[in-house]
Amino acid sequence: MSPGEVGLRTAGQGVVLRGVEKRFGDVVAVQPMDLEVRPGELMVLVGPSGCGKSTLLRLIAGLETPTSGEVWIGERRVDEVEPGARDVAMVFQSYALYPHMTVARNLGFGLRVRGTPRPELERRVAETAAALELGDLLERKPGQLSGGQRQRVALGRAMVRDPGVFLFDEPLSNLDAELRLRTRDEIAALHRRLGTTMVFVTHDQVEALSLGQRVAVMDRGRLQQVGTPDEIYRRPHNLFVAGFVGSPPINRMPLSRDGGGRLAGGPFALAGPPGPDRATLAVRPEDIAVAGPGEADGDASGGEADSSAVWGSGDGSGSIRAGDFRSTVLRVEMLGSEQLVHLDGPGDAAWVARASPALRVAPGDRVSVSVAWERSHLFGADGRREEGVPRPAGRQVS
Amino acid sequence: MVSGVRQPVLDSLAAVVLAAGLALVLVVAAGRVESARVGAAESEARMAAALWELVGGGADAVAGLLGERATITGADAGGAGSGPGAYGYEAGALEPAVWIAVAPPPAGGPRGALPVTAIAIALAGLTVVTGWVLARRRGPTRIRYPAGIALLSGGCIGLTAVAGGRWAGDELGSLSAATVAQGARAVELALATGADPAGAARFAQLPWAQDLSLDSLTEQWTMPAAVAAAIADSPARDVEGSPLTVEADGATWHVAGAADVHIAFLGYERTSSPTLALAAAAGLAGLLVALVLHLGQLASRPRALGRTLAAWGLLAPAAAFILAFTLGPLLFSLWISLHEWRLIDPAPLFLGFDNYAALLRDREWWSAIGNTALFTLHVPAAMAVALALALLTRGSRRTLRWARLALFLPGITSVAAIAVVWKWLLSDQYGLLNRGLERAGVGSVPWLTSPDTALASLMIIGIWMVVGYQMVVFQAGLAAIPRDWYDAARVDGAGPWQRFRHITLPGLRHTLFFVLVTSIIGSFQVFGLVYVMTEGGPLGATDVAVYHIYREAWEFLQFGNAAAMSWLLFAVVFAATWLHFRFLDARRAHG
Repeated sequence: MSPGEVGLRTAGQGVVLRGVEKRFGDVVAVQPMDLEVRPGELMVLVGPSGCGKSTLLRLIAGLETPTSGEVWIGERRVDEVEPGARDVAMVFQSYALYPHMTVARNLGFGLRVRGTPRPELERRVAETAAALELGDLLERKPGQLSGGQRQRVALGRAMVRDPGVFLFDEPLSNLDAELRLRTRDEIAALHRRLGTTMVFVTHDQVEALSLGQRVAVMDRGRLQQVGTPDEIYRRPHNLFVAGFVGSPPINRMPLSRDGGGRLAGGPFALAGPPGPDRATLAVRPEDIAVAGPGEADGDASGGEADSSAVWGSGDGSGSIRAGDFRSTVLRVEMLGSEQLVHLDGPGDAAWVARASPALRVAPGDRVSVSVAWERSHLFGADGRREEGVPRPAGRQVS
Repeated sequence: MVSGVRQPVLDSLAAVVLAAGLALVLVVAAGRVESARVGAAESEARMAAALWELVGGGADAVAGLLGERATITGADAGGAGSGPGAYGYEAGALEPAVWIAVAPPPAGGPRGALPVTAIAIALAGLTVVTGWVLARRRGPTRIRYPAGIALLSGGCIGLTAVAGGRWAGDELGSLSAATVAQGARAVELALATGADPAGAARFAQLPWAQDLSLDSLTEQWTMPAAVAAAIADSPARDVEGSPLTVEADGATWHVAGAADVHIAFLGYERTSSPTLALAAAAGLAGLLVALVLHLGQLASRPRALGRTLAAWGLLAPAAAFILAFTLGPLLFSLWISLHEWRLIDPAPLFLGFDNYAALLRDREWWSAIGNTALFTLHVPAAMAVALALALLTRGSRRTLRWARLALFLPGITSVAAIAVVWKWLLSDQYGLLNRGLERAGVGSVPWLTSPDTALASLMIIGIWMVVGYQMVVFQAGLAAIPRDWYDAARVDGAGPWQRFRHITLPGLRHTLFFVLVTSIIGSFQVFGLVYVMTEGGPLGATDVAVYHIYREAWEFLQFGNAAAMSWLLFAVVFAATWLHFRFLDARRAHG
């Protein structure tokens, strides 16, 4: 099943969008944007529904023509080129298998309409079918296949043409959870084997982070951030990306400049960067630590807690200073390998902390909560990331 | 236990239904006889009234002829029906002052008023069945029990029907003989008073002939020629006063003679034959018994019984509607097609398959079928045009919406209106089309007046009429093809023609088949266009099957032939549809 055996080429083509914009009448589906997918790269486009990611994919495929801008695939400018001549193959969410053709004819359709000689057509269909273990199904019609089998046929129909770029339009969303995970792994393995450029559209951020070498986050027709999954998760460029990626979603606290020049909100008073009068503090659930009532310093006035009594899910590199604020536990979700502690605070917010299953807290407990400041984020009033780590500057009395 | 209560109830219900079925059979047999007696009384009253006029008020003579069953009243003695028997006759326009009422003759024959044998069989059967039902025990007899009851019940009903039918036949036969004898006496009376006997016979609706014309066969007045010939050939015709029967035109005629006048009569046993009605009644009774027995088997499972009863109840109205308005007329037309029936005949004559055999040699009929088949060729042409239009007018632009509406309009316009307008457009001299052609220097075309072009003109109008409807159906079919398939084909490199060939056509397969079959059936039924525009002409060039059937029935009054043609047409359409389905199945099986 190595690429050598199935005779597929291993080089991919890069995709470059320059100032590409797409309008449908008055509706702007894709704002003018630049995007580069490197040759051989697996790029995931992710965003909520209606964000323009599918339109972007269809622009690359040629199923839509850009209102303005240029689309390049490899060394060719293709925005006036028919989809069939772009050296791309696409896997659709509905699979879009031709229902009146057998699996074999579905696989061979793209080669047939191009006039590929019959012996070669049959050889390539057979090779693809073997690679995807579809050999026994070749004479069946799509209606006689299971969802997973259809998915593989759709994949095979893309593979058999040995394209320069694979395009995936939410190909996993019609599969059940278990099959989705398995197929995700198979696609990742396929990418490793073929080394072909792949553009993968999904609305599932977990899928995006786990599959993509780079991830492009989109919202309302705009590219929000392009980067490796690690960059996207650890250094979100704006509040949207920070909120979209991660589950449970990142905790937020609105802040405003107080008389002393500090950014204050709820129990926090931060020596933030100079500039915005309003900002949002964002902290991931795993970057806050909860100390149970029996473990933390019982003194309500705060102070340094016993570090041994504090557990943080971080890798231990950042020191978590206990007792940043105190709060009441609303609910505890036990997920096996971890538990989510829902807090009544800070302030008017309701934060969630990711904690070790060993932590013993119950609803109604007063707990001491600390924030890993060096991994927390600060976003300005316009939603953009403010560089620099927020630091507590004294403590407000709550 | 519930079943313990229900089983006896259903058992007695079965007995009641069986009794009702037997009674139904008997009532039908007696009813046929009674209606014939009423008919006989009516014709006697007519005859008496005619005589009254012919012999000029010979009240005694007329009263003597009819005996005690008649009441004759003057104008001042009240209205019709005041005397015994309610069967009155007003004696025409000549003497409106006189009423003659005749009571039906009492049922004659050696067996009296009731079909004794049939009643005996019915009672015996009912007793046996009831006895079996009462003596039955629950247990191993369970499965054989309903089958036994069903066989026994069916046997009882069948025997009763046969006996009732024979009784009714005898009764009707003697009634026929009495009616003919009465007619003969009326003729005698007319002859004795010097009046023309023709009037009396005619009023009684008895065909009659004088012996002179029996030989020459030129002057039979109302006597069918074949009947007159049969009487002339009969060796028994000279025996005065004895009833006589002859076979002619496939029927048995009752004949009586008075002097040199013979009157013949198609007997009640034929015109009121109880056979069909009795068979239907017996079938219905059998079905009812079977239904109750079927329910009886479910008696031990009350929920299943309830559901079955509810299902039958819900089915009943629709089934009754279909029986009365679809299946009934269908069977009636099948029955007519086996007979010769001119609508004015007293009774249809059974011919077997003669009508069908004659049709196979009927050149005009096959020419009509050929014309219909030719006309049907407009269907594929229309479908191609409609598909092209459907693809061209797809979309939501305002102009396209108007175009679709304009194209669809002919489909909802009355065929008669379309035909009249097109007839005018295609008129040789005044037609808009020919005027245009002349002005363009092409010369006029005899659109509807030449045998070479008339059918083609109708086909063009046919295309124009159905294209809009087909287009709308195709558009619905196109809308059901997912856009993803086209997208996938485009990415696969398929051009517009390949997308049409590999995505649109297969996606429309079922729509195409539906439109093809319904359009071909519709095309075989074309009538209005031909009726209004060409009346089958010129020279039969547009004589299509349904129009031919219409003319056969309502212009030539050959209902038997027309019904046979209808069934042949049905067979042709059915065969065509069946072949389509086979073709489709084969395609499906082989991908």
